[in-house]
Amino acid sequence: MYSSVGKREFRVDAESKVTGKAIYPQDIYMDGMLHGKTFRSSVPHARIKVDVSEAEAIEGVVKVFTAKDITGENYHGVLFKDHEVFCEKKVRRIGDPIAFVVAETPEIAEEALKKIVVEYDEIEGVFDPVKAMEEGAPQVHDGQNNAVYHYKIRKGDVEEGFAKSDVIVEKEYRTGMVDHAFLQPEAGISYMEGDKVVVCVSTQYPHFDRIEVAEALGIPEEQVRILNPAIGGAFGGREDITMQIHLALASRTLKKPVKSIYDREESFLAHSKRHAFIMKYKTGATSDGKLLATEVTIIGDTGAYASWVCNVLRKGGVHATGPYEVPNVKVDSYGVYTNNPFAGAMRGFGATQPPVAYEQQMDIIAEKLGMDPIEFRMKNIFRKGSITATGQELYESVTAVECLEAVASKINKNNR
Amino acid sequence: MKKRGIGYGCTFYGTGYGNGFPDVSVAEAELNSDGKINVYVGATECGQGSDTIMRQIAAESFGSSVEIINYYSTDTDIMKDSGTAAASRQTYNTGNALRLASEKLKDRVIEKAKDLLNLNTTVGLKIENGEVFLNSFKATKISLSEIASSLGDEKLREEATFVAHSTEMDEETGQGCPYWPYTFGAAAVEVEVDTETGKVDIIRAASAQDVGRAINPELVEGQMDGGFAMGYGYAVFEDLNLKNGKIVNNRFTNYLIPTAMDMPELEKIIIEDPESTGPYGAKGIGEPVMTYVAPAILNAIYDATGVRMTEIPVTPERLLKALKESETK
Repeated sequence: MYSSVGKREFRVDAESKVTGKAIYPQDIYMDGMLHGKTFRSSVPHARIKVDVSEAEAIEGVVKVFTAKDITGENYHGVLFKDHEVFCEKKVRRIGDPIAFVVAETPEIAEEALKKIVVEYDEIEGVFDPVKAMEEGAPQVHDGQNNAVYHYKIRKGDVEEGFAKSDVIVEKEYRTGMVDHAFLQPEAGISYMEGDKVVVCVSTQYPHFDRIEVAEALGIPEEQVRILNPAIGGAFGGREDITMQIHLALASRTLKKPVKSIYDREESFLAHSKRHAFIMKYKTGATSDGKLLATEVTIIGDTGAYASWVCNVLRKGGVHATGPYEVPNVKVDSYGVYTNNPFAGAMRGFGATQPPVAYEQQMDIIAEKLGMDPIEFRMKNIFRKGSITATGQELYESVTAVECLEAVASKINKNNR
Repeated sequence: MKKRGIGYGCTFYGTGYGNGFPDVSVAEAELNSDGKINVYVGATECGQGSDTIMRQIAAESFGSSVEIINYYSTDTDIMKDSGTAAASRQTYNTGNALRLASEKLKDRVIEKAKDLLNLNTTVGLKIENGEVFLNSFKATKISLSEIASSLGDEKLREEATFVAHSTEMDEETGQGCPYWPYTFGAAAVEVEVDTETGKVDIIRAASAQDVGRAINPELVEGQMDGGFAMGYGYAVFEDLNLKNGKIVNNRFTNYLIPTAMDMPELEKIIIEDPESTGPYGAKGIGEPVMTYVAPAILNAIYDATGVRMTEIPVTPERLLKALKESETK
């Protein structure tokens, strides 16, 4: 008998959130605070020259930060440090941050954004990941192949599996980039506490933000404190840095609190997207409904930056066959740079796209075999002791059958 | 014409960072001077409910409800690194670390109680609702606040670390144990497709989610509702409308997400089969709850119309075009 576990405990943050008492970063005001606004690239791929002198001359503008003002490393990124805090010589996507205006009021900061002069020497962009993989495609990151990651599964012999199959289904599926659409657009405030810079933002991983802020500012981690007040949803969209370093750099340089708020349009530009996947599936089964072989190629568009590309395409590959036992499996998943918005973590993290393909494949094969879709799944579904496509044994708490039976008993053709 | 169809989606999901990458959570528990339990974890509350269920996990060690817990999770100066609130890993990973820390603290509290009660063993002592007592003679008891005030400058504080198990896969064959644990789930939906407008409505829907054990069923159901809405949006609404790298649909007037008006009454079924490595048998479910929704809708659209939609989102324009093409075939 449990005292707390398993209870329908009322969520502790519910009252503050529904009554409006919860403090989000946007709700925080400090005496003498300044206001920051980000200048972003309006083109997807270009070499740039930046002139902020006119903007900085406006009365009420305290400073306009660019790459030359970075006190540590001009980079951040969860896997590869391929994001620049401020783009210095080149932009790789629409929305890349180039400068951060700090002014006495948000209105003055907005005015100053219009006075920033960026000379764009445009480079041909690449927006289709398949084209981006071709020889001679424009390089999103100079000197680097656009295809940054390749994951493989080789289990059994798919050719032999297809040769023995009575039914083979081949199809290509496509899923687009989508946004996390969390309710609360990014906002934050940063201030000094002695020699420590405090950054108050909505983030999914405060300790990692601390590392990235410290590196970019060139200070020890102990001089960075991240406070994480109420968060209005995240879904993976608050894993990559957005305004954290801009705020910390500004407040530490100017010794004053600095606040920034993105509106919805800027929020769309600032954070990652779900990877668009192109998924080629070939699935073979016997006439009595046993899956024999699955061959999958996945091409994932990570846009201008890597973020979690390796982990996402790896997870996509590992989950490509679905919750079914398949003796012969060949999977190739690729992560590719383009000049699209950058993709990163989003709920499901590479395991959300493949079901769009593998579950339709299951229905198509069932229909070809004249079998009920549930009955066909049950012939192949993971059970205790099943071996996955990566050779892993599922030895306990394997409930795919119970889950599928539960929903099929609720909704089926007999109880319309 | 309005056509109805039924579809299913079934998925699995591997928890954690995966592929041998160190997946580490640190948690601390401490006896406060008033007898309450201070808990320090770096798990971020993004709306998923971690602030509530972490309290439940810690309270369980002390045989109490959540009121006994003072909870700290928002300041890098006072809590240690519990990893990111992602990969459906906080309940499993940080929940495990916190359970270990709470159990260690409980053992120390009981040890103190033994001394203060002049007993010769901790055997037979039980902790419940802020008191340590001898189970066979309940008048022999001492409250946690009395224990705390007896400590003087001494602090009872315990830390624990949990590392999830995963191995790096073979580079050539992809063989190995990339994730643990795996969760399972399924959805069934009945859709109504308006063949004149291309609009897809969901008439009925059910989701079943494997949870190992539900720490808080209410919050599991909340995740299932939210996951269904997000999967529904993914399947038929959400489109950035990218044009040469430009997001054309960059506000909620043109980037459409489902509203309460679109959501069906979702039947939610929690499937429990405790996972031995999870805290009280629990697995994380933040992500898997959305993975089976889109395929169920797509299969239902086919069942209704005979048209196989291989690209999402299935916007009215896309569906009408496909319906037209299927007619001319």
